[in-house]
Amino acid sequence: MTTNNSNSSVADHAIFVQAITKRFGNFTAVDHVNFEVNRGEIFSLLGPNGAGKTTIIRMILDILRPDDGQIQVLGGALTDATKDRIGYLPEERGLYKNVKVLEMLIYLGQLKGMSTHDVRVRALDLLERFGLSDNTKSKISQLSKGMQQKVQTIATILHKPDLLIIDEPFSGLDPVNTQLIQDLLYEMKAEGVTIVMSTHQMHQVEEMADRLLMINKGQRVLYGPVKEVRQTYAQNAVIVEGEGNWTTVPGVKEVLAGRNGHEAKLMLAPGFTPDDVMQILASRKDYAVRRFELAVPSLNEIFIQVVGGNGSRAEARYNDVRAAD
Amino acid sequence: MNLAKALIVARREYRVNFRSPGFLFMAFAFPLIILGIMFFITQFIIERETSTDDFQKVGYVDNADIVQPGVETPEGYFALDVPEVEAVPYIEQQLKDGVADAIFVIDANYTLTGQVDVYSQKNVTEALKEDIDRFLSDHLVAQADDLQVPAERLVEPMDVVFRTLDTDERQSEAALIGRFLLPTIFVFVFFIATSTTSQFMMGGVVEEKENRLMEILASSVRPLELLVGKLLGLSGLAFTQIAFWVLTGAVIALTTEQGRDFFSGAEFQTSDILLMIVLFVLDFVLMSAIMLGVGAAVTAEAESRQAGGFIGLIAVLPIAANALFFTNPNGPIPVILSFFPMTSPVAIIMRIGLTSVPTWQIAVSMVILIASTVGVLWLAAVVFRLGMLMYGKVLTPKLLWQSLRENQNTPVMTPLSE
Repeated sequence: MTTNNSNSSVADHAIFVQAITKRFGNFTAVDHVNFEVNRGEIFSLLGPNGAGKTTIIRMILDILRPDDGQIQVLGGALTDATKDRIGYLPEERGLYKNVKVLEMLIYLGQLKGMSTHDVRVRALDLLERFGLSDNTKSKISQLSKGMQQKVQTIATILHKPDLLIIDEPFSGLDPVNTQLIQDLLYEMKAEGVTIVMSTHQMHQVEEMADRLLMINKGQRVLYGPVKEVRQTYAQNAVIVEGEGNWTTVPGVKEVLAGRNGHEAKLMLAPGFTPDDVMQILASRKDYAVRRFELAVPSLNEIFIQVVGGNGSRAEARYNDVRAAD
Repeated sequence: MNLAKALIVARREYRVNFRSPGFLFMAFAFPLIILGIMFFITQFIIERETSTDDFQKVGYVDNADIVQPGVETPEGYFALDVPEVEAVPYIEQQLKDGVADAIFVIDANYTLTGQVDVYSQKNVTEALKEDIDRFLSDHLVAQADDLQVPAERLVEPMDVVFRTLDTDERQSEAALIGRFLLPTIFVFVFFIATSTTSQFMMGGVVEEKENRLMEILASSVRPLELLVGKLLGLSGLAFTQIAFWVLTGAVIALTTEQGRDFFSGAEFQTSDILLMIVLFVLDFVLMSAIMLGVGAAVTAEAESRQAGGFIGLIAVLPIAANALFFTNPNGPIPVILSFFPMTSPVAIIMRIGLTSVPTWQIAVSMVILIASTVGVLWLAAVVFRLGMLMYGKVLTPKLLWQSLRENQNTPVMTPLSE
């Protein structure tokens, strides 16, 4: 497992979490969780409702203290100066309803250590970029939900954080604004900002995240690069779309109906690889193949499989595969 | 604690609440209401002051030998022979026996000092004072040459000192009114300032909880910084409110004759004023801390208003029980209310205006108040830290107790769904 990488120091990580545990009365919300977030990566925190994600984020931000374990952020223990380098957009987020947009942004920017002048210039710049320059003097209560969400995002990145922790950044956004936020996150990543993203939108994780941590019932069930996690769950099967009798292909043990009615999932017999099957299909004239791909499960399928099944067995399986590699 | 961040919070709390309709109403409309009350009180006093009906028999003791037989004396005025020894008890006895309704003693050095002591069992009215003034003027003028009366004595015949029979305390007439009314007005102002600003405190916390802002704030500032910032900002607001009222009062006092008369009666000792200021600060912190704790513990504004109303009801008890204070300011209820921290500042100030409060009672009251304020502040900080993220969940006393027993940093329940 990658928890203790002997070649990397704590300072290399944006976040270093070691064996943290948090209990609320008799309920253990987080149970001996380890992970690291590398500098400059997009790291996704996944898990079903009540898994412990928000508790972990709150412990990283020192809003809650762990009962056991150690957390280091941006190379050390969390100080006031470190806090000023973090942008946080919680899932349960809100704004002062009867305050003007610019006034509220200035207040939140000042709390992050910015001067009034700097925060004003930066806020006006971001408001323009987000298409809200006409709303600087509007009260928050006068804005639509989508506009409020954009203001919340601006408040989070106002002080140019080195570490961004965002909980469900795309919830409630239309496709245009989703793209806007997505582009912003890519841009920040390119500038070296570390992004920790907690979300239920698996396709966003597949598309954006470098690595992931999945939590279930307070315990770590999956952890590693997104591609590796998906590969681990790949079956010895391929997805094909085209013409031909798939059952007669040598090496195919079973043919399952695909998801869209056009594709088929070919389960391969032991000893046969997807490469073998691709070569066979390419050499035969009685098959016309329009699409051929490995049957790698989506994160959504893995999520359902892991959370619905046995989480610890899932991580054991992942670990076994990695050890074998 | 990062004081700079606490000051940013304080500045915002001050500015936002200063602009709120609630504050503007209290700051600007309230002095007008007070002005109206004062106007009616003054009118009432003037009505009483123009009458000498209560003073049909007025005795005088002429130690300066200025009364001339040939000068016309008002009806009911008569000379009184007073023994040189034990003169005051003799005068008091005469008043008690009904020989005279008022007796005034012209001091032996009257022509130089103008001193005249007026004794009465009743409040001496302005009209009687004017009558005595005229009586002295008439006699002075009649023999001005013989006595070589200084010109100032003719212009201002007397420097009157009124003496009450119970305590023999020298009290000017205005002081009698002032000592009665000013503490009442002060208590009222004090109570309104404390309760409105502490309501702002509670409202602000509830708003931040309801609007899900707490977590964003908590990622930038520590709970203690937030708490101190709010306390500082709203303290500033309360002092602004009071300063405005005091200024309004001063303007009224300086620009109107009636106002000058009324306020000149405020013969508070410096120690009394200092005590009032200390009591105000402690009461403000105590009430604010209670409201802060309530705001952090409840889930919605409606709940906070109910709780705030109940707390306000307790704090207003001394004002509601003012009849008990006026009839017997050292009675059991006023004394008990002077020891109970939520009512003690108001109770003590009311009693100061009405009687001489024993020093030990003030001391005990202060000790209880300071200890309670420190204790409540600590508890409010704990409740604030525990309750601020409990959206939609009430931090009940049972939960609070369990949390305190286990770990002061964390509630025993999950603060928020994941």
